[in-house]
Amino acid sequence: MVKAVKGVVVECDSSVKMIILGLNEKGQFIIEDLDETHVFVDASCVDQLRLDIDEILNENTYKVEESK
Amino acid sequence: MSSLYVDTPIPIEDMKLWFKGSAGLHKHHEAMQRLKALHIFSEEKGCYKMNATFLEQFRNALTGGGDSQSFGLATSTPDKHHVDIAFLDDYATKQWEAILHFMVGTTEGRPPCKGVLNLLGRSGLMTGGSDIPQGDNMDARDFANQMARHDFGVPKITHKGFQFLLQDINTQVWAFLLQYLNMAESLFMDLVEVLTFFFQLGSLELGNDYSSETLTPTQTHLLEDLKAYGIVYQRKRGSRRFYPTRLATTLTSGTPVMLGSHTNAAKIAATAVAARKTEEEEEDDHGFIVLETNYRLYAYTDSPLQIAVLNLFVHLRDRFPNMVTGVITRDSIRRALSKGITADQIITYLTAHAHTQMRKHTPILPLTVVDQIRLWEIEKNRLRPTASWLYSQFSRQQDFESTLQYASEMGVVLWSDQKKRLICVSSDGHQAVGNYVRKLINRHKEQQAQQAQSQQQPHHHHTTSVAS
Repeated sequence: MVKAVKGVVVECDSSVKMIILGLNEKGQFIIEDLDETHVFVDASCVDQLRLDIDEILNENTYKVEESK
Repeated sequence: MSSLYVDTPIPIEDMKLWFKGSAGLHKHHEAMQRLKALHIFSEEKGCYKMNATFLEQFRNALTGGGDSQSFGLATSTPDKHHVDIAFLDDYATKQWEAILHFMVGTTEGRPPCKGVLNLLGRSGLMTGGSDIPQGDNMDARDFANQMARHDFGVPKITHKGFQFLLQDINTQVWAFLLQYLNMAESLFMDLVEVLTFFFQLGSLELGNDYSSETLTPTQTHLLEDLKAYGIVYQRKRGSRRFYPTRLATTLTSGTPVMLGSHTNAAKIAATAVAARKTEEEEEDDHGFIVLETNYRLYAYTDSPLQIAVLNLFVHLRDRFPNMVTGVITRDSIRRALSKGITADQIITYLTAHAHTQMRKHTPILPLTVVDQIRLWEIEKNRLRPTASWLYSQFSRQQDFESTLQYASEMGVVLWSDQKKRLICVSSDGHQAVGNYVRKLINRHKEQQAQQAQSQQQPHHHHTTSVAS
């Protein structure tokens, strides 16, 4: 029987995909892991997901120190 | 033009005599075709006849007679408090900049009046606090009140607002007036009157004073609002005369003409008013921003407005009497991006205001910086979510294939996988694809039912039904 589920397809690069998988371990929001660059997730968690990823990426960026 | 004061219809042959040579005749023919299409002229018994109403109104307009006042009524008595052009320019610049200042969020000067706030909010150039509903059905007055209230929070510049800042003044004024027209209805103003007044303003002469007595109540109200934008000047509320400023008189002239004349006037005014703010317009044209490959930015300006605009996306560090220095950092760009300003807008702004020294290079801006700004923007949008429906558990390969084909013909497939038999369909296509799948399944069920029936029949039929 064919099943249809409502959600959100998230397209991203593979490094972000790994972060999403990591976040998924805390709260299950992935409905279907599609492939390297696509995940199908619950619609309600997209905004939170965006914030979380932003935060993680922020921690991992190199900043030029202000030279005085 | 000659036909204006000829009362009897003009014979076609006579009119042809007015033109010299065949080229003139050709033009004449073209012109008459157009005039006829506009029903200004009609052809009767081999004579041209001008539309009577048009004739009368046109004569009125040219001579300033009648009571329609299409070109405004100049006051006949000299003004005791006459103001000169330099003053008007200064006034217009000051008023207009006050609005722009408010948009970029400087505390310089007093905040603009309610009407302006209202307009800014309605046009979507600025948004209020984060959690205020931004419905279109919101009453205009309500919105203005909220904007003006102190605890409402600082209104923020929007994506559209930034775009607005990048344009030249004439475009800005027009954008404002157009928005005003949109709003006029909700303020119970007559659109026709508003529009008439705008065009009338465009044809007024700078430096002359005009009587406000002939204006309708709507137009008087309009005058109040335009005063706030710096488009017209009135010495005091209820004064019987008003002066159009340069912003008004250049309304209907072309943009490039205006820019040229404006800077010239600005220069004259600058010397007259001892190098006031108008100087900034000069700088505006020359460009004042130097951007280095190490992300450092030097802006030769002392205008708080320019500095405030820069402050939207540059981390400013030092300020000197005639320049500011700053660095473009990841954080400063991200701050701008989160306000809805796009990388392209920033780059356009920097290019448009690049210093003459910078213009000697091609490309004008250092590539590294431009690329980096774009990269920062892309980085911000690493997720591309699309609302969709996931179709799974297709029991038969042929069902999957035909559904996929159907959906891709409609162009709604976001993603699909052959092996897992999964299809992601955008929410627009969900309805149609869902129906299609249901139909497929029903057809399949019917077939199965037929099969089941035929299985109950004698054995020699069995082989054929399986084959089907």
